[in-house]
Amino acid sequence: MKQKLLVTLLDTEGALQRLLGTAERRGFRVCAVHAEVVDSAQCHVAMTVESARDVALLARQLLRLHEVRKVCVA
Amino acid sequence: MDNAGPPDMVVRSGAEWLVSALEAEGVDTVFGYPGGAIMPVYDALVDSRLRHILVRHEQGAALAADGYARASGRIGVCMATSGPGATNLLTGIANAFMDSVPMLAITGQVSSALMGTDAFQEVDIFGMSLPVVKHSFIVRCAADVAATVHEACAIARGGRPGPVLIDLPKDVQLARGTATPSRSREDSGVQPARAVDIDAAISLLSRSARPLLYVGGGVGIARAEMALRDFVAATGVPAVCTLKGLGALDPDAPELMGMLGMHGSPAANHAVQCCDLLVALGARFDDRATGKLETFAPGARVLHIDADAAEIGKLRGADVALRGPLAQLLPILAQRSPVATEDWRAHCASLRRLYANRYDAPGDDVYAPALLHDLSRAAGPGAIVACDVGQHQMWVAQHWRINACNRHLTSGGLGTMGYGLPAALGAQLACPDARVICISGDGSIMMNLQELATARRYGIPVKIVLLDNGCLGMVRQWQELFFEERYSEVDLSDNPDFVALARAFGIAAFSINRRDEVPAAIERVLAATGPILCHVRIDPRANVWPLVPPGKSNGEMMESAA
Ligand SMILES: Cc1ncc(C[n+]2csc(CCOP(=O)(O)OP(=O)(O)O)c2C)c(N)n1
Ligand SMILES: [Mg+2]
Repeated sequence: MKQKLLVTLLDTEGALQRLLGTAERRGFRVCAVHAEVVDSAQCHVAMTVESARDVALLARQLLRLHEVRKVCVA
Repeated sequence: MDNAGPPDMVVRSGAEWLVSALEAEGVDTVFGYPGGAIMPVYDALVDSRLRHILVRHEQGAALAADGYARASGRIGVCMATSGPGATNLLTGIANAFMDSVPMLAITGQVSSALMGTDAFQEVDIFGMSLPVVKHSFIVRCAADVAATVHEACAIARGGRPGPVLIDLPKDVQLARGTATPSRSREDSGVQPARAVDIDAAISLLSRSARPLLYVGGGVGIARAEMALRDFVAATGVPAVCTLKGLGALDPDAPELMGMLGMHGSPAANHAVQCCDLLVALGARFDDRATGKLETFAPGARVLHIDADAAEIGKLRGADVALRGPLAQLLPILAQRSPVATEDWRAHCASLRRLYANRYDAPGDDVYAPALLHDLSRAAGPGAIVACDVGQHQMWVAQHWRINACNRHLTSGGLGTMGYGLPAALGAQLACPDARVICISGDGSIMMNLQELATARRYGIPVKIVLLDNGCLGMVRQWQELFFEERYSEVDLSDNPDFVALARAFGIAAFSINRRDEVPAAIERVLAATGPILCHVRIDPRANVWPLVPPGKSNGEMMESAA
């Protein structure tokens, strides 16, 4: 099933790699992603993922990442 | 080091900032190995109070830092140069990640201008380690080094601990940066649980006729052993432990059913299969513990208590989830939970009696379970055991009297052969007064054998008991049982002479072959003041029993090959 996530993260070195890598390693195929640094410190990411697993599990894994500030399942 | 302009501001090189920040963190020991891209840091070490332990392979540094951290509860620090030094650390970093061990790994990196050009000894260790670190940094300017170290240490220790990597380009180590000397940061704690969840948990416990605690490594990490012991004493609820949960309860506690899972005790596995409420405490439903997940604790509701929200529902849904600090939650639950019924406690006690370990195996050759049982009694409750991976590791879990989680150092999540010796060295350096015993196998010891030189150099008095079955026993056992005895690449009958090998490193060593030699060997090992290796020849055909076959339910344990 495809689901959309909105993620706010600190714009630190490697943050986007970590975010996308976590999604893939946890069994979620990244189908679409749009990322934009909105001010000097924060990056907003909208991503669509596909998996048989519950997206809430991914949301909780993403929240463990040090630079992730907020995750919303859209 | 000289003072510059504004008060409190100091100018130091990046390397000096690193070393002074580690000192400010209270780090006393660093395990490492030098090389080109980290030479400025090694230069700064000359003037520092830090004790640097020169291992003989970077994997040994990371695993020793892991053992140091597990035994002491303090952060373990390792460092290496760029490229091969950094990649050699990776297994140890992954090991710490899988078992939630607080670690700081510092790698030298080629100079900033060369990064991304395939420079000599350049690897993207930041990228390579992403899946196995809690967090990581590349420091881009000298003035940021100290603050990064403090942040990294706080992240490594806080919440659910884990390894943090700092990659430090050589030019940043050399550059001078102006900053205020900073101090250790407070670790981020675990958010308190919500009152509604606590109420729901109590209600679940109150409605259960057959509650069972499923105790994982999270209990030791949260330093909640005493709170757990009090909970069990107050409620009488029986408990099973994972490999990493062993030690959370007193080995003699009447409620302890033993380890669950693949090589767990039948008492523990049967209790899990028939409980009606499974209280997961800092446990993560790992496949080695659950067997076939769909049939695990089939009739049970689940109360999942953990510091890490991401563990809840990851593999098995929770009827009630309680996210919070275990050491604070358990006393609250102890006060408000009912006492387990007499019927259920009696049932569990009878399972325990029925499946109690026996040590009366026939024969004259050394029976490893009995040796481990006797050695652990003789070594005393304060002894720390570090083991390698294989059959001997499972025998330790089954037969060693483990009194506290931090006295049983085992590579649980990653199952890293080669863990035992460096972990024992790290533990002994962290706890100089403790008796540290390494139980290894003839396969595993060869993976970090070079660290005998480290034991010798620093006079680290670890006691090594090498259980030599002349094979990769655990793999051989699986081939015997599940691959129709088609033995493939498990024979080690041409092992080197381990006694001569240890002596070549300057380590005292002796060998035993027969059961009647065991008592004197135990005495000799424990009486040694320096490092010593006792080589024990055991039957190559010995298997670890019982066993849940792969893919099977924990209710379908095999008790022998027949
Ligand atoms: C680094 C590494 N490589 C391979 C394995 C797979 N493995 C698990 S147990 C084992 C055999 C270990 O042999 P030994 O140390 O002699 O212990 P024994 O099982 O004989 O007690 C192997 C090869 C592993 N766990 N780690
Ligand atoms: Mg072996």
